[in-house]
Amino acid sequence: MTIEAENKEIEASIRDVAKKMLSEKQVDVIIGYSQGTLPLSSTPIVIRNEEQVDNLIWDNLCYINLARYLAPLMPQLCDSEGNALKIGIVSKGCVGRAVNLLAAEKQIDLDKVKMIGFNCNGNVNRSKIAMEIGEKEILDVSITGNEIIVKGKDWEQNFPYSEYINELCKVCQVKIPSATEATCLGECQQLESINDEFADIDEFEAKSTEEKWDYIKKELEVCTLCYSCRQACPACYCNLCFVDQNKPIWFNKTTEYTDIFTFHLIRSMHLAGRCVACGACSSVCPVGIDLNFITRKLEKIVKTRFNYTSGLNAKTLPPMMNFKMEDAEEFMLEED
Amino acid sequence: MSNPYIPYLTRVKSIVTENKVNDIKTVELEFKNEEDYKKFDYIPGQFAEISIIGKGECPIGIASSPTEEGTIKFTIKKMGTVTSAFHASELGDIVGVRGPCGNGWPIEEMKGKNIVVIGGGFAFSTLRSLVLYLLDEKHRKDYGDITVIYGNRDPGEVLYKDVLDEWKKRDDIKVVLTIDREAEGWTEEVGFVAPIVKKVAPSPDNAIAVVCGPPIMIKTTIAVMEELNWGPEAILNSLEARMKCGIGKCGRCNIGNKFICTDGPVFSLAELKELPDEY
Amino acid sequence: MEQKILKKEDIGKLYNEFSSEYKFYAPIKQKGNIVFERIENPDDIVLDYLNSRIPPKSILFPQMEVLFEYKLDDKDVEITDRQDLDEKFMIFGIRPCDAYSYELFANFFSFHGNWKDEIYLKKKENTTLIGIGCNTPRSTCFCTSVGGHPFNKENMDVFLTDLGETYLVEAISDKGKEIVKKLSWLSDAADKDVKKSEELAKKAEESFVTQIDVDTIVKNLEKSFDHPVWDEISEVCIGCGSCSYLCPTCTCFDVIDETDQYNNKGRRVRIWDTCQSCLYTLETSGHNPRDTKIQRCRNRIMHKFSYYPANYDLLGCVGCGRCIMVCPANNDLRDHLAKIEKIGKEEKEEKAVV
Repeated sequence: MTIEAENKEIEASIRDVAKKMLSEKQVDVIIGYSQGTLPLSSTPIVIRNEEQVDNLIWDNLCYINLARYLAPLMPQLCDSEGNALKIGIVSKGCVGRAVNLLAAEKQIDLDKVKMIGFNCNGNVNRSKIAMEIGEKEILDVSITGNEIIVKGKDWEQNFPYSEYINELCKVCQVKIPSATEATCLGECQQLESINDEFADIDEFEAKSTEEKWDYIKKELEVCTLCYSCRQACPACYCNLCFVDQNKPIWFNKTTEYTDIFTFHLIRSMHLAGRCVACGACSSVCPVGIDLNFITRKLEKIVKTRFNYTSGLNAKTLPPMMNFKMEDAEEFMLEED
Repeated sequence: MSNPYIPYLTRVKSIVTENKVNDIKTVELEFKNEEDYKKFDYIPGQFAEISIIGKGECPIGIASSPTEEGTIKFTIKKMGTVTSAFHASELGDIVGVRGPCGNGWPIEEMKGKNIVVIGGGFAFSTLRSLVLYLLDEKHRKDYGDITVIYGNRDPGEVLYKDVLDEWKKRDDIKVVLTIDREAEGWTEEVGFVAPIVKKVAPSPDNAIAVVCGPPIMIKTTIAVMEELNWGPEAILNSLEARMKCGIGKCGRCNIGNKFICTDGPVFSLAELKELPDEY
Repeated sequence: MEQKILKKEDIGKLYNEFSSEYKFYAPIKQKGNIVFERIENPDDIVLDYLNSRIPPKSILFPQMEVLFEYKLDDKDVEITDRQDLDEKFMIFGIRPCDAYSYELFANFFSFHGNWKDEIYLKKKENTTLIGIGCNTPRSTCFCTSVGGHPFNKENMDVFLTDLGETYLVEAISDKGKEIVKKLSWLSDAADKDVKKSEELAKKAEESFVTQIDVDTIVKNLEKSFDHPVWDEISEVCIGCGSCSYLCPTCTCFDVIDETDQYNNKGRRVRIWDTCQSCLYTLETSGHNPRDTKIQRCRNRIMHKFSYYPANYDLLGCVGCGRCIMVCPANNDLRDHLAKIEKIGKEEKEEKAVV
């Protein structure tokens, strides 16, 4: 099936499940994606009744991780008396992983959340396309067959879909949310673990320290410290982020490279074992930094050391929040 | 034209602990440079941005009156990074002062009127400044009756005991002190500020009231005063907010289109009613 | 105005003329984004662009700026003021919307209270703007709705029109006239060049897709502080603040002291801040006047379209459209303004029906 055909099917199934959920009052609201006003975007939407179901779309430009809206720090969706609403959430695999993560970390009540699962076919790499088009205004983006068609005022360019999706989508192993049927209507699966060779970062790992350092510096030094990556990440829900602490000030917020690097380094450490590889951080970055190479590396370390992948079920705590007696300790006990 | 972010440098001349639990201190500062002191021409109700250079800056109301010449005083409660560093200061340490900032109490408009000063807790600092100014022999005749109602949690929290004692001895000012609950040795009023204001029942005729304190005290006191027929233009508040520049540039202390640091911190109740409820 | 012609291939020559006297800024490509940076090599200058990702406010109001430096010395403190405020800036390639934003900045930084922000104002005084008109405004641009124009020459010192291989050069201010005089090697413009520039201006003006009725919006906002429209507007905002970081008229900043404790010295710096941050108004006591997302979203829009007009009789938005382009949740300002514009109309319609 072409991507275009898959999209039509996915969209239809999302709408069917959504309609069923709302009409049977399984949920009070549904969070999904709707048509954006800009060609390379979609706008998240909260719908409250069956008539609005046709606003839900799926078009490979749905890069926000909707679990972000469930996380603490976002206003809780409540009724007029302040009771938490039952929420349906359109879940591609990584959104499902994020919901599981939040449930395992006891940040949401899974009884009040129902996923609308589907087999995700990936998201377009917005910054890659924008960079190739350059300084011409893009007026329309659509998927025809297996091609991304990008149109401007008097020009058109095609891109093969499989090459122009997000790097994380290319290596994704959890396209369908991993959840029980009680939590997830539509498509779901129960995964114990994933098989990921992380071959894509072997090449990076093989570089010398200087090369790696230079690459990272070049990527990160244009960072404007806008914190969009942190705000878009469903796992970043601290009431007071470490970088905002001021009693005492742990890390400063200036644009010196040391401060920029420290922010990304520490944030990544806080995400080790928790990141759900949704790529929202890179998609939302206004200057197009690809943070995914950091997140992939961390996933590899956690998989190798603890045989753990986040978000496959709503019970297991990530390894950094948990310990088992058989955890490897040799890095602590090494003698030089 | 000079850089408005550079503070005047002052030295700590004296430190007085104001309350029993030792988290409120009044610090007296002497300007390093006589010229700077002359430039620091302030009126009661204004505030200054106090810097502990290296730690940060915060806005503190000026507790001294301009009639107390030579030095300026600030009463500071230990709450955050800068105030804690302030509390750790010793005699002779350098403190940066930027200001004076804000609009201050409208001492010109208050002339010829009766003044009712209502304070709660540690918000009394700019009220100390105001009352000392009004009582000064150069100004006393410009103002009518002065009534001070000052409430605290307990006797240990009462600030400026020495100054209050002086005022109680005078016959041209009425001083009513109150604490929340009965305490041993306390012979004055007992009760929250609002019911005591009701009891004292200051008249709104040709009068201006100045109300400063924690939000709940302000709310209840204003309700009582409205019952006593006080109009909203005659009740003045001094607002607080998070501030960084204190001079209307960093943007964060806005309520609607007004900045608390330059259009305030003194606002009348009538003005506040026009502004959004975001303070 | 005697117009001149500057060939695009001679940009390097222009750069060489001024780069020793001025800090020369122009658009370059950085990781796929157009940004205004200090030019070391004129070959880096990009002439084929719509507008920069990061607004040129970053030149005169950098993301991180030193307010003063200090030395801590046992019982004493020594403060060193900025020494570089007399340096001159030349900004090449700025668009009319961003040039106007500098005026709004200057207005804000000289208003309010007894102090003016001399750091910005001095730099602005020492800045020369060589701007270029917009032949092809984006669909997200709406400068004409907020009192601007793609060929607005008012706030420029020298104004260029892109004629294809060349620029038509017009000196606008006295500073600009001096600049053009120095470029004595420019050839004179012909009548057809001037005519072409006028046609381009008209074409650009007519190409605007986004039209907004700002007067109605400003009027509606006066009474809409508690209107339920703000719930809709803020619902899917993720509170990242990208809109303020990339907004050419957002001036808010935070102030922090950075101390090198080993060497007893430091500096007080200001960094960009955003009212969308939940910490923006958080007081030490814990009280936060704007602790919900709705209040923060509302504050930004009110600031641009209600508080700014109330204080200065000017709009706080230049219509550059960056906030629309960058919002991760595609929370489109144009939709919000359309909703605000409709306030009152439904009530009027209801009344008419009744």
